[in-house]
Amino acid sequence: MQKQITEANFRLLLDSLLFKGQRVVGPRRSGGTVLYEPLASASDLVTDELPRRSVKEAFFPVCEDLLEYRKEGQQVALSDVTAERFPETVLIGVRPCDAAAVPVLDAVFSWDYKDQFFLERRARTTIIGLACTSSDDACFCSAVGLSPADPKGADLMLTPLVGGGFLVESQSEKGEAFLETWRDRFAEPDGTQTQALATPATQPFDLKRIKAWLDDHFEDAAWDSIATRCVGCGACAFVCPACHCFDIVDEGSEKGGKRRKFWDACGFWKFTHHASGHNPRDLQPKRYRNRIMHKFKYYDDKFGQTLCTGCGRCIRVCPVGIDIAGVLEEIQEKG
Amino acid sequence: MHSEKQKHDFEPKIIAFVCTWCTYAGADLAGTSRMQYPANVRVLKFPCTGRIDPVFILKAFQQGADGVLVSGCHPGDCHYIAGNFHARRRFAAFRKLLEFIGVDLNRLQFSWVSAAEGGKWVEVVTDLTERVRAMGEMVEFKDLALEEQWSGSLNTPELQEAYDAI
Amino acid sequence: MQSDTVDTSCHAAIAEAVRTEARRILSDGTVTAVIGYAASRRKGSTQPIVITSVDDADKLIFSAACVNNLAVYLTKAKKDVPRSGRIGVVVKSCDLKALVGLMGEAQLKREDLYLIGIPCTGVLGSVLQPAALLTTASIASKCCECTDRLPPGCDFVPSVQLPQQPRLEQRYTDEIARLEAMSPAERWEYWKEQFSKCIKCYACRQVCPFCFCEQCLCDRNRPQMVEQTPRPAGNTAWHLVRAMHLAGRCAGCAECERVCPMDIPLNLLNRKMARELKELFNSEAGFEVRDKGPLNSYQDDDDQSFIR
Repeated sequence: MQKQITEANFRLLLDSLLFKGQRVVGPRRSGGTVLYEPLASASDLVTDELPRRSVKEAFFPVCEDLLEYRKEGQQVALSDVTAERFPETVLIGVRPCDAAAVPVLDAVFSWDYKDQFFLERRARTTIIGLACTSSDDACFCSAVGLSPADPKGADLMLTPLVGGGFLVESQSEKGEAFLETWRDRFAEPDGTQTQALATPATQPFDLKRIKAWLDDHFEDAAWDSIATRCVGCGACAFVCPACHCFDIVDEGSEKGGKRRKFWDACGFWKFTHHASGHNPRDLQPKRYRNRIMHKFKYYDDKFGQTLCTGCGRCIRVCPVGIDIAGVLEEIQEKG
Repeated sequence: MHSEKQKHDFEPKIIAFVCTWCTYAGADLAGTSRMQYPANVRVLKFPCTGRIDPVFILKAFQQGADGVLVSGCHPGDCHYIAGNFHARRRFAAFRKLLEFIGVDLNRLQFSWVSAAEGGKWVEVVTDLTERVRAMGEMVEFKDLALEEQWSGSLNTPELQEAYDAI
Repeated sequence: MQSDTVDTSCHAAIAEAVRTEARRILSDGTVTAVIGYAASRRKGSTQPIVITSVDDADKLIFSAACVNNLAVYLTKAKKDVPRSGRIGVVVKSCDLKALVGLMGEAQLKREDLYLIGIPCTGVLGSVLQPAALLTTASIASKCCECTDRLPPGCDFVPSVQLPQQPRLEQRYTDEIARLEAMSPAERWEYWKEQFSKCIKCYACRQVCPFCFCEQCLCDRNRPQMVEQTPRPAGNTAWHLVRAMHLAGRCAGCAECERVCPMDIPLNLLNRKMARELKELFNSEAGFEVRDKGPLNSYQDDDDQSFIR
């Protein structure tokens, strides 16, 4: 279904949602940094900047409690999280590169183990995407098979119109239902042109060719030249919309505490460090190789998808200027 | 003979990190001499003040201490020659850091108490306890430890509620 | 505030001189490798590079986006860089101070290094957008208070005329003064908010030349002194532990602050501690190798007015 909404009505719609007590999460300026956070009013929404961290944390938070334990006499009492009580959420202003990562993550979180925490949040969230009208030279969504207006993962897709307002397209039943509930705010499309979309400069990658090279170059001197400079932090993985590794740790004392799940990254020395002291990925290039392999080979082998949406966040934040798009170009040339 | 115990609304928790050679022996002397001092203090014995890492102090505050005492040998009396000299510099710096992030330094006391100074131990502990009692509970670090964080400010009241059911 | 452009016209000559020198020292066997900066794919972006052949010397560049402190590649934490023979390294003054600190801590030997010093007009504070023009607004805060634009004691420094620096605001000094003027409760609120942004990516630790421990205290779990999860309590403890471990050692390269993806003003803590240690023990990071830093030495008459 296609509809249209004016800028003023869009803001009114947001405020009505908030007024009704709906939890609305969108890009918001928090200190100097734009992050996906709950909005308090329509004016909080930032539409002209890609949030520093991706939208994955709406489903897969930086850190969450899994259970609590307490010692009661000789017994240990456990209490669990009731994930069914996670709130209904409208995610708004989600960039195509962020929204597209969500169905990619569905594959792994509903694979052999159904991750209740991810899936319950997912089921309770309506994603309203927003097409991009500007990009920088770190953006490369169009190089990994997406585009600045790609509706993948969105329930509703907004495209800015010339002169303000948005063209609204529903992409799923959730989207249809949303349009139906708020039909008073929307109008039929009147043929107004949409604004010119962003044009990321990169050429599409031949992902098959890249994968073919990865298939038989687990050992290759190129990894050293690419990643010797890597310093082993987790910034790339933490800002990535698709990276989903986590660690689980018990924090507390013998009397009581909590089991928590939090983000982990394959760049960390500790990631594969064995209790014996041995580390199979002993040097940084081996860890970076895993990052590329996981994104462009292993995930493809397992789920037939690419674990990268070209948001370019890792390129922007890398302390030592490692540019994944440049690395892919290099691999493509070799392939 | 126990003197009449005074009732207080608030009993602060005081953690004392002490060196085994001087202050611990001093505290012991206070005990064997039947001196009275507030039972609020929990003593942790270390080989030397040089072994007392600032992170222990942070940990104590996080786990519910309202005041912290670090005490060791007088300058020149260290069993390891210079452990307390190193500690003196380290804690001088650490105080400045704590002050800069907004911790009230009145909750943190450093002292030299020798094995012969049972009386000084009683004095130091009593003063710190009463000072902290007057200041009330140290809530800052405790609040931090209780504060859950799911993802920056993504933890709205609704989500909090879901988790409170734990 | 209106911002003025910083004159960076000398960068081309610096880059050319660095390339020539790298070619020379690699071909005559003075060094086995040179660590410098190379261009990256994005416009204006740079990345650290280790070159071992004369032909690769052409890749070396210098610009206002050459922000990295390359000293990080010379410590134990980074065993990946070839360590046979002498290594050439491109350093700005702030990077050199870190190298000097590492020499004082017996992590490096001067004779194992060939220092290519950069006459510096300042670098960008952030390279999220590396093509940004260097202005009095975009320049790194560390550069605003830098008084050592020429690194002393290097083996080679390109001879260029450094342009007059425009007037720069003393950002760290001002910000520290602003915080010091607050009440303790206000300061606590300020830092609580800053630390709660932390996601424990450890970029600050990984880029720091002084964080060379083979196993960080914060990665240990027996005992677990600092909570591993990115929650306010563990975050606060982590940043305080880091500030303490760097006190008296930090050379002020501000890499921790630059790389923080959450924009936490980490170098404020380091600058504050540096100032306090200067005041307390009259000791600060400089270009002279110190056998012992302020926190692993002592004097009989150190201040103990705070001790009962």
